[in-house]
Amino acid sequence: MQSVQAVPNARHPGAGRRMARDTPKGRQVTDAARQAVAALLAGRDRQRDLLIEHLHLIQDAHGRIPTDLLAALAEAMRLSFAEVFEVATFYAHFDVTDTDPPVEIRVCDSIACQMQGADALAAAIAAGTPARLQRVPCVGRCDLAPVAVVGQNTLDRATPDQVFAALAEGATQPVLPPSIDYDRYRLNGGYQTLARLRAGALTAEAVLQALDDARLAGKGGAGFPTGRKWRTVRDQPGTKLMAVNGDEGEPGTFKDRHYLETDPHRFLEGMLIAAEVVGAAEIYIYLRDEYPAARAILTAELAKLPADGPRIHLRRGAGAYVCGEESAMLESIEGKRGLPRHKPPFVFQVGLFGHPTLVNNVETLWWVRDIVERGPAWWRGHGRRDRTGLISFSVSGRVAHPGVKLAPAGISLRELIDEYCGGIAPGHTLRGYLPGGASGGILPATLADVALDFGTLEQYGSFIGSAAVVVFSQADDLRAVALNLMRFFRHESCGQCTPCRLGTEKAAALMDQPDWDWPLLQELSAVMRDASICGLGQAAPNPVLTLLRHFPEVVGA
Amino acid sequence: MVKVTVDGIDVDVPAGSNVLQACEAAGKEVPRFCYHERLSVAGNCRMCLVEIEKAPPKPFASCAYPVNDGMVVHTDTPMVRKARRSVMEFLLINHPLDCPICDQGGECDLQDQAVGYGGDQSRYLEPKRAVKDKNLGPLVKTVMTRCIQCTRCIRFSTEIAGVPELGATARGESMEVGTYVEKALSSELSGNLIDICPVGALTSKPYAFVARPWELKKTDSVDVLDAVGANIRVDSRGTEVLRVLPRLNEDVNEEWLADKSRFAVDGLRRRRLDTPWVRQNGKLVKADWQQAFDAIAAKAAGLAGDRIGAVAGDLADAESMLALKDLLASLGSANLDCRQDGAALDTSRRDFYSFNTSIAGIEEADAILLIGTNPRHEAPLINARIRKAILAGGVHVGAIGAKADLTYKPQWLGEGPDAIAALLAGTHPFADILKAAKKPMLILGQGALRREDGAAILAACWKLAAETGMLSADWHGFNVLHTAAARVGALDLGFASGKTLAQMLGGGVDLLWLLGADEFDTAKIGPNTFVVYQGHHGDAGAARADVILPGAAYTEKDATYVNTEGRVQRGQLAIYPPGEAREDWKIIRAFSGMIGKTLPYDTLAALRARLEQVNPVFTRVDMLPRFGCTDLTGPAGNPAAMRGDAFVPAVVNYYMTDAISRASPTMAECTAAAAPLAVAAE
Repeated sequence: MQSVQAVPNARHPGAGRRMARDTPKGRQVTDAARQAVAALLAGRDRQRDLLIEHLHLIQDAHGRIPTDLLAALAEAMRLSFAEVFEVATFYAHFDVTDTDPPVEIRVCDSIACQMQGADALAAAIAAGTPARLQRVPCVGRCDLAPVAVVGQNTLDRATPDQVFAALAEGATQPVLPPSIDYDRYRLNGGYQTLARLRAGALTAEAVLQALDDARLAGKGGAGFPTGRKWRTVRDQPGTKLMAVNGDEGEPGTFKDRHYLETDPHRFLEGMLIAAEVVGAAEIYIYLRDEYPAARAILTAELAKLPADGPRIHLRRGAGAYVCGEESAMLESIEGKRGLPRHKPPFVFQVGLFGHPTLVNNVETLWWVRDIVERGPAWWRGHGRRDRTGLISFSVSGRVAHPGVKLAPAGISLRELIDEYCGGIAPGHTLRGYLPGGASGGILPATLADVALDFGTLEQYGSFIGSAAVVVFSQADDLRAVALNLMRFFRHESCGQCTPCRLGTEKAAALMDQPDWDWPLLQELSAVMRDASICGLGQAAPNPVLTLLRHFPEVVGA
Repeated sequence: MVKVTVDGIDVDVPAGSNVLQACEAAGKEVPRFCYHERLSVAGNCRMCLVEIEKAPPKPFASCAYPVNDGMVVHTDTPMVRKARRSVMEFLLINHPLDCPICDQGGECDLQDQAVGYGGDQSRYLEPKRAVKDKNLGPLVKTVMTRCIQCTRCIRFSTEIAGVPELGATARGESMEVGTYVEKALSSELSGNLIDICPVGALTSKPYAFVARPWELKKTDSVDVLDAVGANIRVDSRGTEVLRVLPRLNEDVNEEWLADKSRFAVDGLRRRRLDTPWVRQNGKLVKADWQQAFDAIAAKAAGLAGDRIGAVAGDLADAESMLALKDLLASLGSANLDCRQDGAALDTSRRDFYSFNTSIAGIEEADAILLIGTNPRHEAPLINARIRKAILAGGVHVGAIGAKADLTYKPQWLGEGPDAIAALLAGTHPFADILKAAKKPMLILGQGALRREDGAAILAACWKLAAETGMLSADWHGFNVLHTAAARVGALDLGFASGKTLAQMLGGGVDLLWLLGADEFDTAKIGPNTFVVYQGHHGDAGAARADVILPGAAYTEKDATYVNTEGRVQRGQLAIYPPGEAREDWKIIRAFSGMIGKTLPYDTLAALRARLEQVNPVFTRVDMLPRFGCTDLTGPAGNPAAMRGDAFVPAVVNYYMTDAISRASPTMAECTAAAAPLAVAAE
């Protein structure tokens, strides 16, 4: 017997058994971690779609997610380590680390805050405290920029001293704004339309007809006719579900937060009417994690609703802009990474947990009661320049009085600023604006008189989207604005498809150069627009393309 | 069927197909990285872009777009070409240009498609992204910087292998593929990750930097390290087998291969018998063929036929077993056995010992009962089929035996024969599931048959099959899952007659001829029994031998094997046996000539003609007709004689089951890395 050829560095085959270890391969779950997770999950369901909720429990309790607890959570939820790990690392609000201290301060990185000196604020805070600080994408308070968040306590028009004071006092809980509670809402006639619908005094067809006649278009950004969407879902066979998109992540947009924090029941009634009309068995409200005050209000108010309607689940996002895309939101509600799905099938056919699903934006539902009660003519009675209806503009930037401005559709930017915002901020002159947040493109002052509505801005390479208007003046570097927006998209790309994953990264790198390589940027933009799976990648080049089109002098093209 | 026009070619494709499939049906090549026929659609690489008429004027990812009737598709327009070239440029932004030191070079999808669809230079000058490599265990090497995030590996491990251990962490540009922490993959199918990776991110660790694909001689063959008979391609250079890859066979292994079959080939270079040996004064000394034959002839001379016996090992081919059987017959002996483990197999009917449903037939079944078997270890590819059937939906799976993680969760009915008795008596609710099923099947493992009451269990299982509607004119749901590649062929040849192995041991015969038989306790051979070991590895049998005849391993001979289904397949010689070793049937033929009992075949063709004469099933190479079962008469054995003790798995260490895998350093590493698999809780 002899070996034909000696194999170098090979252990003797018998070595295997001696080397065998007495525990299974991979990370072992420690008893301490197991008990910690068991305590957090005590009395809670453990099905898969609650994974993000449970990760929040760990994040909230520990200020971060230690890897041993992650392993214990995987075991407790009977999921593979990899599944839990990939979800935890996908969302920005989960801080998977064993060593870093918890993030205590967040400073908004978004365009409106940037214009109001967020960089200086962050630098001053960092110089004054050792607490860990993180720059984060838009927290949805652009009218109150710059914004810092201590724990879950949002500090508007923040100064370093305010932040230090909050840290010293341990003021980390959200401050709840005054809102109309259940009893007051009912006193003012609330929930009567829902009751009439449920009692049969008002037919579903009448509701649908009212929406159709009002020509109500979705307020989430795409502007799909609401009545048509409801009818389509209503006609689907089998169990139907409803999901509410409260993941208002578009930089500059804060109207949904405004409505949730002021009159939550108007939204809830609209939602329940929708569920009743389409026959949805359960409702999932997906609320972005940046809105702790709205979450606290909703939690309290939902508990007051009588238990006779469909089951309502309130789900927390975890810091992912892409989850505002409806199919990515459904993935997230199912407890997975927020990767947009391929369409077809559309979510009204195969949606949440495989069921036909009605997905509506918060504000869309907020208007349902008024349209039904006041009639479609009331809604259509608003409007300018042959457009009809109302639009809730989230106005920020260089205006005297930023905020949520309810204005007629078709209003021009100049009218919006002058009539609703008290004019341009003192000392500034209008130079340009974002009509629809980060993805809607940048328009110049020369286009301040065009109607702001769906279908009117597309000819200028732009769209109104969620009506997040950010106003720029001569004080603002538009190149820096475009770069800020591209960096936002880079941060928020889910990484699923090649054009967006690499395109946002490369575009940001190219735009960081002193001289922009225009032919290359344009070609790169074309690939992202044509080949990306979802709207994030398709719209990401809009700021840079509109900048080139409307401000050639700025970019040296 | 819907009609689709692709580049002016009309094709009919099933409704529900995607555009990419329609393009393939029209013979149009569509480049792709993430799309894989056997995995779910991810649609993330965006390489398979096409243009669709009457749709928005933009390119569509054809893999994720369903066909409509009358759809008109263009795969080669300026828009499509430009979009693909741009996507390719994007992919190469971060992909390192390390093709010269990449093992995927020469068989790389990215390389090929960059040539076909890419530009000749990149305009992106920024530094490339670097990603830390992951440790996936001894089989799969990672160079994660090469990863293009197609997620095929994640989908494979989750969907096919059933071990959801790979995931994509973080998001956007930071997205990485990895296990949760440094963790070897606990799958017996992990080698397939190497095949499905379209770039060089996942390559073979044992094969790292060994050869370039264009240097290799490729030989189509059949795997023998379990009884599935996976179709393989043996890649060799000079006198060495360097690697083994799966070959497509939808009916057997699809396009997968189990890890042992793929990675145990380095065992072919170690502990080989390359010259005859003869024991003199208690010690084995090197000899030449003449001396070895003389020693055997001297012992055989004058022995009564009944004092001679032969045992065929688990890797033996049909040709050599037939030659040995004929040789023993010429010596007056019919003492033949192939059941080294003592499995109570009934040879009176072929369907008593084969996997009658067929491997592909598993996908038709709607109820599956596993008895005394852990298919994940005994036949990973069959286990993958069972998992595939379960994922397709509507299949009830029950299992009797030691609880184990099978990558799916069967209903555990019991640990031993009591559960069979309960099913027979109808007292267990799973009996109703079996009776209600349209195509129920059971899989009986060797763990249930290699016991003293094996015959009783075999009979009881047949009875169960007959009584629960598993046997009908067009469906045969009774299956025996073998672990040895030689077994069904040996039984087909009648290599189980006269004295059994147990009767030959302890002095039951004076001359015992072991044809590669290593899997029984050789210490039980009588001290005065003269042992001839014919085989290729210096393993248990050779250590006890008085004469060693060096034979050929499965990569070194043209040989016929019959898999557990009864499918006759042929392996081919890829390299020549080392040293003095020879193809096994030729050794036996030469010996027969020397002792004057010349066997009547000089060529492989003549031997195969004899094979067909002995059993006509050998005429059906690569074909497996499926039979129903109308004769419900069961095997001999009394179902009531079953005892109570629990079934013991037939395969303890998946990575070492035979002389080749025991000699393999890679399999030793896998054994070291493996650990008790967690019991799947119910």
